Amino acid sequence: MGKRVAVCAVEQTGFFTNLWQKRFQEMAFDIVEPIIRKTGVTFDMATGIRNIITCSDDVFDARTISDNAMTDAVGAHYRGEEKVTMDGINAIGYGLACVLSGHDDIILIVGHCKESQSESRDMVTNLAFDPFYYRPLGLDFKNVAALQARAYMNKSGVTDEHLAKVVVNSRKNAALNPAANARELLTEEQVLKSPMTCDPIRLLHEYPVSDGAVAMLLVCEERASEFTDKPVWISGFANCMDSYFLGDKDLVGNFSLKKAAERAYRKAGVKNPAEEFDLVEVNDCFAYQTPMWLEGLGLCGEGKGSALIDGGGLKTCNVNKSGGMLAGNPLMIGGLARAAEAVIQLRGEAGDRQVEGAKKALAHGTTGAAGQFHSVLVLDSE
Amino acid sequence: MAEYFGTTVDDIFSTQTERFRPEGAEGVDAVIAYDISGAGGGRWMVAIGGGKSETKKLDSLPAEFTAKMITDAETFVGMTVGRIDGMEAFQAGRVRAEGDMAMLLRLPQMFTKYVPPKKPITARDIIETAVDRFQPQYAQELDVTVGYDFTGKGGGQWTAVIKDGKCTLEEGLRDNLTVSNIVSAEDYVDLMLGKLDPMVAFGSGRLKLVGDMELAMKLPKIFAKFVPSEEAEAVEELIVLKKIISVDMEYSTGPVMGQFFEGLMEKKILANVCPKCGRKQLPPREVCAPCRCRADEFVEVGPGGEITMIDDTYYASPDPLTGETRETPYGSLHVLLDGCKDNETFWHMLKKNDLFDAQPGDRVRPVWADERTGSVNDILYFEKVR
Repeated sequence: MGKRVAVCAVEQTGFFTNLWQKRFQEMAFDIVEPIIRKTGVTFDMATGIRNIITCSDDVFDARTISDNAMTDAVGAHYRGEEKVTMDGINAIGYGLACVLSGHDDIILIVGHCKESQSESRDMVTNLAFDPFYYRPLGLDFKNVAALQARAYMNKSGVTDEHLAKVVVNSRKNAALNPAANARELLTEEQVLKSPMTCDPIRLLHEYPVSDGAVAMLLVCEERASEFTDKPVWISGFANCMDSYFLGDKDLVGNFSLKKAAERAYRKAGVKNPAEEFDLVEVNDCFAYQTPMWLEGLGLCGEGKGSALIDGGGLKTCNVNKSGGMLAGNPLMIGGLARAAEAVIQLRGEAGDRQVEGAKKALAHGTTGAAGQFHSVLVLDSE
Repeated sequence: MAEYFGTTVDDIFSTQTERFRPEGAEGVDAVIAYDISGAGGGRWMVAIGGGKSETKKLDSLPAEFTAKMITDAETFVGMTVGRIDGMEAFQAGRVRAEGDMAMLLRLPQMFTKYVPPKKPITARDIIETAVDRFQPQYAQELDVTVGYDFTGKGGGQWTAVIKDGKCTLEEGLRDNLTVSNIVSAEDYVDLMLGKLDPMVAFGSGRLKLVGDMELAMKLPKIFAKFVPSEEAEAVEELIVLKKIISVDMEYSTGPVMGQFFEGLMEKKILANVCPKCGRKQLPPREVCAPCRCRADEFVEVGPGGEITMIDDTYYASPDPLTGETRETPYGSLHVLLDGCKDNETFWHMLKKNDLFDAQPGDRVRPVWADERTGSVNDILYFEKVR
């Protein structure tokens, strides 16, 4: 076994539909401050943070090389700073590499996104597509997800009623998570009666427009105890890319998710994912993705998403105790927020939603249309 | 006279005066000298003043001029007809300027663009493309000579020699031609452009074919259809896809940026101060970057100050919000506002009339917009205090 890297601190802003009171820079500084205060970490070039990894989006922040705007707010003045432009959970993989390579002892990760800044989130995700073949056809993450939703529901016997159960479960969990955006309880009937935005996706199947930021402090094993007495260990991380062009991929094959999970589990020594995790956080932008990603992660059998929901598996497997992305995290940091919840749970700091005795957690992130890119992170408290 | 891109340097200068736009040259009194080397080059002078312009070809350049352009004939024509990028040519050293560079950059406002006249296609233009249009797959085992005898205005005589799957073109008619086309040059052009039907021309005797008629019938295959170069260019043009990215966005200002903009509406320039290092930030931002702490205290600075740096800009990009392009040249400046020190400078625009007059160290003051909305444009520009 090689050296290990610990998550020694995690902070999140809490998530809101429109955090109009703040610029996004201040939103980020709001969580950098408590990381400094609580851990005592410094920016001393010999012993402190000398490299920072940020995550932000050029379009939402309306500038190219969007991390340049973050320098002041993330403490990057006169030191290394790099950006991931996919989900912020990949910053954890990046930070892991920085520490394991011996270049850094400490990495500060700060991911942010203010979706409320754009006139329409769908117009922003339209820009993710090929400008000449796909954008003129009006594709965005939502209507492409609907294609995948229909195909997945046909394959796994998931119905509109199942999806209503997924949303109700998300809200039940979110109600106990002070950081979640959508915390009002819903009934299955309310979900079933919500307007169809893109068949089979209903309004309440979508995550709400959200603003927020997440920060983490990664530290090498030798120095973790300087910053916390509750380190959470990164035991496996992997990601995998699938085709950009939709026609090239099997929409319900979960190919890239399975590959990412396989590699992360191998590194973490996970043999039986359905039984080993005390809690699971999946990056579900739309309700159908909760069971679909669970299938890809091997937490239920292939095509058994509906059976998992019917059997109460969302509860017994402790799926998305945070409420999940469905309860509202912005794009770019949906996966990073999943990792944040996993760390909070493994530290035993999840309050009313705490999974008792949680020792091993799975956090998942996805970027791009219909799960083009997936990232899988395994965390342990011991 | 040497042609480049179908145009000579003389073509351009001979139309210079008629392309003059007095409305683009208000207040201009200048002499522009051109020193153009290479075949077809020469020396010219363009005088502009009092709402008039005059162009002269000279043996030697005047000693007094406002600006001088030194280039070669091909580059000059290429830039004028839009086939060579002026900025690239300038950077590559193919164009040099002396004197008032800004005056040269104003030329597009003072003269309309030179548009080469369309030249009619001649029989010579067409027959000279015969070798290029030759299709050997239809001329296997041929050993023939084809004569072209174009009569009348624009006429001439050519012989196409086809042998061993190759075609060569000679001026003049060979003896013992296999077949000969006799037609007026004008009709030949019309025939080749598809304006005159060959059967009608032949039937009416306007086209005479002498010799091997079977070969004559094969000629439209042996030589591919003539495509005028303009059309040929249009056919060969690459497909270019244009995209405009546009998503309306709305940004919070938060308390810090908000206070700064509110100050501008009241004609006040506010800086925020770091409680640790005492550094002022202009424009104010929430965090002092070196100290990594909040900077919540505000102080009013300026509004007058001293120039620390000026930047003269000779190009302008359109403002993406309004689509308007500001006039060039324009000046940007760093101002050390009263009450600030070291690097606590403020970046804004310089009044146009002060551009070539203002110096670092000069005193300046802001000129405020009458209607202020809480934006950086509430200050129109800084002007020199005289």
